[in-house]
Amino acid sequence: MGWALLLLAIQVLVLDQVHPWGYGAPLLCPLLVITLPLGTARSEALLWGFGIGFVADIFAGTAGISSAAMTLIAFIQPPLLEVMVPRDSEEELHPSFSTMGRWNYLQFIALLLLLHHTIFFALEGFSYFHIKDIAISMGVSYAASLLLIILVEHVRNPQK
Amino acid sequence: MHDFIERITAYVHWALFLLLEVLSGFLLFRYNHYQGSIWLTQANTAVAKVHEWEAGALSYLRMPAENAALVRRNIILQNKLDVLRHELVLAKADTSQTQKALEDLLEGMTLIPAQIVDNSVRKRDNMLVINAGSDEGVAPEMGVVSGTGVVGIVSAVTPHHALVMSILNSHSSISCRLRGTEYFGYLKWKGGKPLRAYMDDVPRHAHIQKGDVVETSGFSAVFPAGIFLGKVAEIKNSSDGLAYELEILLSTDLANIRHVNVIIDKRKEELDSLLAQ
Repeated sequence: MGWALLLLAIQVLVLDQVHPWGYGAPLLCPLLVITLPLGTARSEALLWGFGIGFVADIFAGTAGISSAAMTLIAFIQPPLLEVMVPRDSEEELHPSFSTMGRWNYLQFIALLLLLHHTIFFALEGFSYFHIKDIAISMGVSYAASLLLIILVEHVRNPQK
Repeated sequence: MHDFIERITAYVHWALFLLLEVLSGFLLFRYNHYQGSIWLTQANTAVAKVHEWEAGALSYLRMPAENAALVRRNIILQNKLDVLRHELVLAKADTSQTQKALEDLLEGMTLIPAQIVDNSVRKRDNMLVINAGSDEGVAPEMGVVSGTGVVGIVSAVTPHHALVMSILNSHSSISCRLRGTEYFGYLKWKGGKPLRAYMDDVPRHAHIQKGDVVETSGFSAVFPAGIFLGKVAEIKNSSDGLAYELEILLSTDLANIRHVNVIIDKRKEELDSLLAQ
């Protein structure tokens, strides 16, 4: 819970205020869904994702956008995690570079993050004519978020 | 029976998933419009307070740039004042009248100073929150300006904060004109870069040059006439080819401002009641 608050605070107070070259800011909160442990109840994951998205939305003034994107990845995360870890994994495995292996975890992050950003920017850019600008915003934000999340994960859980 | 319950619970997350997505959709459509509840926006008292602490802490970092801009603006204004004073002396014939007209124009305006506590420029519909609200006399539809030009229009207020529709908002439309001419139009933002907006409906016979100044027209009483908006950066054809569409380089970098003023124009009530008739 403390970890979630810290991450949300960083998202709201720091990241929402930076706009690389005027385009999309990095989004860190998907990490809170990405790192849900193996065996989390589906409904619990959904409520967790929606709740975090809702708070992020209120602070950023994007009502409904983060909550929709976060709910979707919270729906996908548990089955995807099950498929991507070895069958004989410990019951409450926490996804990280050390528990899942570097390449596996990277794929896991990249996939969920891509899904999240696609929904987030599609909804944000609703009825918006500058398709090119949304695409660039999404690309910049995706790259920035991915780098940042990998960095955070390395700091949080250094690989042996 | 046991089997039945198991079957139901196996699918309960599907129902929850759909429910939460529908709820998100509802929030998206209901509260991204300005008539929606202000309590679900950044102007919500608790949220605004958090942003205010943050803005207070960050303001120290931004001070040098802000100071430089203010000094620059001061110099420009001083300069303008000199020019005007000189012209006033030249227009001796009706000096007292000219001076009176100028004073009358400014007399109707009250400026309420405020600070921006939350801001964004990367969305399609950008809003900002300032720390002045109904208790300070701020009301919806009032204009917000900074030292470098127009910032936006107040859309909703709480006692101590106000939600402002930034000019970087797809719903923003500010009545403007080319300085020194009678050509007017509406300044709109179409997303993308925070310094690039467009002015529509400029007739094809207008003589326009890159670098011409765009200012508020004063038609709406939200802003008095003559407030700086930006300069013409590019002259393009409108989509129907019947008029020019001017690409405007905005004078105010919304990503980097903090101090603003809300304009209370006493003429506004009169004008509104006239328009309502």
